[in-house]
Amino acid sequence: MAVKFFGQFLVEKGLVSREALLKAIELQEQKNLKFGEMAVALGYVTQDDITRAHRAQLSRDIKLGDLLVQIGILTLTQLNEIITRQKNNHLYIGEALVLIGALTNEQLQQHLDDFKADQAPYISDRVELPGGISNPDVWEMAADITYKMITRVLGLPFRAGKSQTITTVATNFVMAAMDLSGDVDARFIISVSQELQKSVAKAILSEASVDNEPPEVLEDTVMEFVNVVCGNIAAKASQTGKIVTINPPVTIRPDASGLAVPAGYTGLCFPILVSEGETMQLILFVRK
Amino acid sequence: MKKVLVVDDSLSVARQLEKIISDSGEFTCVGHAKNGAEAIKMNHAEDPDIICMDMNMPGMDGLTALRSLSMLDKEVKVVMVTSLGGVGDKFTEALKLGAKNVISKPFEADDVLKILRAL
Repeated sequence: MAVKFFGQFLVEKGLVSREALLKAIELQEQKNLKFGEMAVALGYVTQDDITRAHRAQLSRDIKLGDLLVQIGILTLTQLNEIITRQKNNHLYIGEALVLIGALTNEQLQQHLDDFKADQAPYISDRVELPGGISNPDVWEMAADITYKMITRVLGLPFRAGKSQTITTVATNFVMAAMDLSGDVDARFIISVSQELQKSVAKAILSEASVDNEPPEVLEDTVMEFVNVVCGNIAAKASQTGKIVTINPPVTIRPDASGLAVPAGYTGLCFPILVSEGETMQLILFVRK
Repeated sequence: MKKVLVVDDSLSVARQLEKIISDSGEFTCVGHAKNGAEAIKMNHAEDPDIICMDMNMPGMDGLTALRSLSMLDKEVKVVMVTSLGGVGDKFTEALKLGAKNVISKPFEADDVLKILRAL
């Protein structure tokens, strides 16, 4: 029911053992050269160049290849060649499992088809964003996965409203947030009314009524929904090579004047019309 | 009946897992820890057969706790229960650190029980 990667799918279904997967991953790690290793192997840089660049990376948020181009050790043409060679020589986990004898080619093909079917519900639908946002592909994915999880986890019919940029978020009954970092810098927020919090709680707790649940449990269910959505965003992003790191969820309690979008960030609001009069909001604060 | 320790900072996830475990009739829940440090203490106190542990927790996270548990207790079987299960690097790291499997959130009761029964 979640976004998965292929090796995980195989182990979960009992199609390969944990030990076989680890052996296949070990083979991948031997065969799939990292960027720096490939650059050295092609003779474009020395190991000393790589060591110096890694040290420089400690104080800068920049990919190794981009840094090597910036300091003049690599040309752009060489950078692109290294990336192309990495892609062309990449040993995929399924291929590695065949090489170690854990699967036959026929089994691999069948399992790939089954995996595609398993993950079909998570193929991204197009989500429109306002222009000028950094990493728009990740935020489209974030909105799309949020909608999918509202359906799959919460079981709530809804209509997604048009996204818009905002400078302030109106206060709501519960606002649960999670900070995202890595290749992105953003805050993911779900804002719900008291009634919607109950709907979320009923779904997460699998209970018909939550009237006797303490407030901290009800609040926790919204935080857990945020956790589930953001973890699956991280998983989906990793499939496209983007690293999204998540922190534990928190609740935020702005005063009546609302929550201002922090300086240096763009605020995006995705209204989600759940039922008559009840609107959930997905809000993103994205670093400019 | 096999004893299971649940480790998650989320009250609602702990409730979900405790319900799945106790309704199964095959497993019994011996406690709920809210972070990795508590998990290590409760593993020593309750001696569970299985630990179901989240990755993303405040304080000591799941992978750090898993590393310690693998060194301290060779008998206990740890299954990670996490929204990050689909992140290949996290899944791989968990297995390398000794986790027997990873359950991705959102999960179904049947998926959880299938993995617990296989341990």
